[in-house]
Amino acid sequence: MTKIKLFIISILLSYTSPFFSKEQSNRDLLSVEIKKKAREFKKEINFNKAHLFFLKKNWDSTLVYSMKQLSFNNHDNELTDYCHYFRAFSFKQKNLLNEAKNEFNAVSNKFRFYYKVKMYLGEISLELRDFSKAIRYFQEIEKLTNDDAFDFKRSNVSHNLGLCYLHLNKFDRAEEYLFKSAELQQLEKDTLLLISSYMDIANLYYVQYKDRQAIPYFEKAYLLSKKVKDFELKRKAAINMAVVEENRKNFPLALVYRKEYESWKDSLNDQNKIWAIAELEKKFTVKQKEKEIKVLEAENQLKIAERNGLFYSSVLLLILFGAGVYFYKQKIKHNKIILSQKEELDELNATKDKLFSIVSHDLRSSVSALKSSNVKLFENLKRKNFTELDKLLHNNSAIANGTYNLLDNLLNWALFQTKQLYFKKESLHLFSVIQQIEFNYKSFMLDKNISFENTVSKNIFVFADLDSLKIILRNLLDNAIKFSEENGSILIYTRTSNNSFCDLVIEDSGLGMDKNTQEELLNETVLLTKKKNNENIGTGLGMHLCKTMIKKNNGKLNIESQENIGTKIIVVLPKFKNHG
Amino acid sequence: MDNINVLIIEDVSSESDALVKVLKENNYTIVGVATSFKEAISMFYKKTVDVLVIDVFLDGKPDGVTFAETINDIPGALKPFVFLTSSKDRQIFERAKLTSPFSFLLKPFNELEVLYAIEMAVEKFYAQTNGFFSEDQDTVISKEYLFVKKKNSLKKVLIANVLYIEVEERYCNIVTENEKFVILISLTKIIELLDADKFCRTHRNFIVNSQKIEEILVSENLIILKGNHKIMLSDKYKDLIKRFHVLK
Repeated sequence: MTKIKLFIISILLSYTSPFFSKEQSNRDLLSVEIKKKAREFKKEINFNKAHLFFLKKNWDSTLVYSMKQLSFNNHDNELTDYCHYFRAFSFKQKNLLNEAKNEFNAVSNKFRFYYKVKMYLGEISLELRDFSKAIRYFQEIEKLTNDDAFDFKRSNVSHNLGLCYLHLNKFDRAEEYLFKSAELQQLEKDTLLLISSYMDIANLYYVQYKDRQAIPYFEKAYLLSKKVKDFELKRKAAINMAVVEENRKNFPLALVYRKEYESWKDSLNDQNKIWAIAELEKKFTVKQKEKEIKVLEAENQLKIAERNGLFYSSVLLLILFGAGVYFYKQKIKHNKIILSQKEELDELNATKDKLFSIVSHDLRSSVSALKSSNVKLFENLKRKNFTELDKLLHNNSAIANGTYNLLDNLLNWALFQTKQLYFKKESLHLFSVIQQIEFNYKSFMLDKNISFENTVSKNIFVFADLDSLKIILRNLLDNAIKFSEENGSILIYTRTSNNSFCDLVIEDSGLGMDKNTQEELLNETVLLTKKKNNENIGTGLGMHLCKTMIKKNNGKLNIESQENIGTKIIVVLPKFKNHG
Repeated sequence: MDNINVLIIEDVSSESDALVKVLKENNYTIVGVATSFKEAISMFYKKTVDVLVIDVFLDGKPDGVTFAETINDIPGALKPFVFLTSSKDRQIFERAKLTSPFSFLLKPFNELEVLYAIEMAVEKFYAQTNGFFSEDQDTVISKEYLFVKKKNSLKKVLIANVLYIEVEERYCNIVTENEKFVILISLTKIIELLDADKFCRTHRNFIVNSQKIEEILVSENLIILKGNHKIMLSDKYKDLIKRFHVLK
């Protein structure tokens, strides 16, 4: 009974131990190959995930993704093989041996690591206690050349074969293989496996009741187990020794071993407990940390909210302040404009008032002159004094013309001031325009016996507004006639100053004027003084209008005058340029 | 040479009478005096009109402008016109300005101003600025007529009646079937303004109305026109023969 109990323990040990070491040794070649495949099939997301989880030893996820890969893509045999391998290995790790076996069987024999498949199949068969099948698998592997291409431990194969034969009670072969594995393990310095090999050899002898041969191995195993840290091994070595001593009836020693066995068992438990506690503590600290992080996050959010609030409110305040400053500046600007406009208005108003009084005075005097002239007319009509009648009528018409001109200027001035004057510059034939103006004054010049000559070149075209040019010419001609003595002369001619301007000269042989008057006339401001020649109606409005109109037509006004010799009024006008 | 036909649109008879008098004195033909918008429209379409004189206000309403706008909208119907107005009311002017090209005459006006305004209107309408007033030109050319300034008046000549034009320095002798007269215009300008399909140069000094050609004597370098006018054909301009389909 005791021997059988002992036996079972040793098997459990024998097959769990192999793949601890094996995994580490053959991972290299396999994992390198897997990574290579993964790079090769980058586009296969499922395969990539499966291989990552496989390398991380996350078996469940490996199963899921390799399944996906298998169900979606079956084009590539190699990938399929890898997937089956992943699944088989994962099942095996999860101790689902039948599923693992099926998956391993699904792997085609062209698979690069097919020998590993066989190895695992052998192990599974061993575990499922199908020893003869296991032996077949292991023997196939054993036949492989001892090459770097096949990275597995031969000692494991030998050990496993030994175990199989041991279970099949073929002790000779078992002995052979176990020794071989022990030898190899000694070479590989794999103490852990060596201990189990020794124990298995000991078991082999012990089952055959070759106690003498068995006991040294048990002792060897026991001694070696003291050097390692594996509690499981220590425990097993100890119980083996205890059983051996018990069978030798050496009970005190057996008791000692059993106690040791118990202690290892305890320490194993203790260690498990410690692990569990450590795990719990870890979890607890993780939770604690998480809580702290949450608190910190909440605090951070609060701080961010506070900061944002502060930021927005400060931006708002800045905008408000900026708007305030802007509006304040606008207001100041407006005030300035209003002030200047007020001044301008006041000035204009004063001018208007003055103009109004002068104009009304002039109108009154001219109309009263007409009235008195009319009285005389009636008287002469009664007396049928026709020569006097004719004279009076001429006088009346001169007064009417003067008044009309005044009113016309007034109208134009008013239109100009209210910006209602239509203004359009075009090419004008200067000679013709002067002729048209002259036409209206012919009779007056005839009355005064003034000789008039228009020698303006017929090839001159000016660029000006027709009606404003007429206003200018009318006023200048009117003035020239007004200030001319009887039998005087008026000349109108041009002298071309340059390519783009021409000088229009209106020359009279009249009163002339002194320098002061000239300057006053050319002055920009409105000039409203009663002229020396009091007999004639005049407000200065005409000259003012001339200046404004000339300016608007981009022209210039000049005066050359000598008292009692005559005056030259020079109007500089822009020429029409396109005339070729 | 024919007189220019003027249509006057004016509701105040004293003013229209003065206008009629001035224009008749200067050899213009008055085709009618319309006193309302309706009358103006019917007269405009019934008679041959060369120039219009339009009072802006008819019976207190700016119907004159409306009339101008109406004929302005009909392609080809518009003729040179002059607005008469007594005030430079900007609003009316802004409206009148839209009917282009646009000239106006401010009341009261004298004889010379009326004539000048009509001449300016013709110049502007046919876009030949300064066509009448400079010392080296007195003619504006439209598609149908030559408008020639003779002293204070304007005359017109139907271009289709012109046989040929002989250029002599600054002058052009225009020869029609019935008359011969001189106008002032440069050769380059007249060539530019005449319809190139109808008028072609045959010589340095000759421009011929191709529709009046009766015979071309290539060997003698002569072209014979209607009325047996013989025109020189110089070698340089012989290419013009290619424009005719020659029967062989």
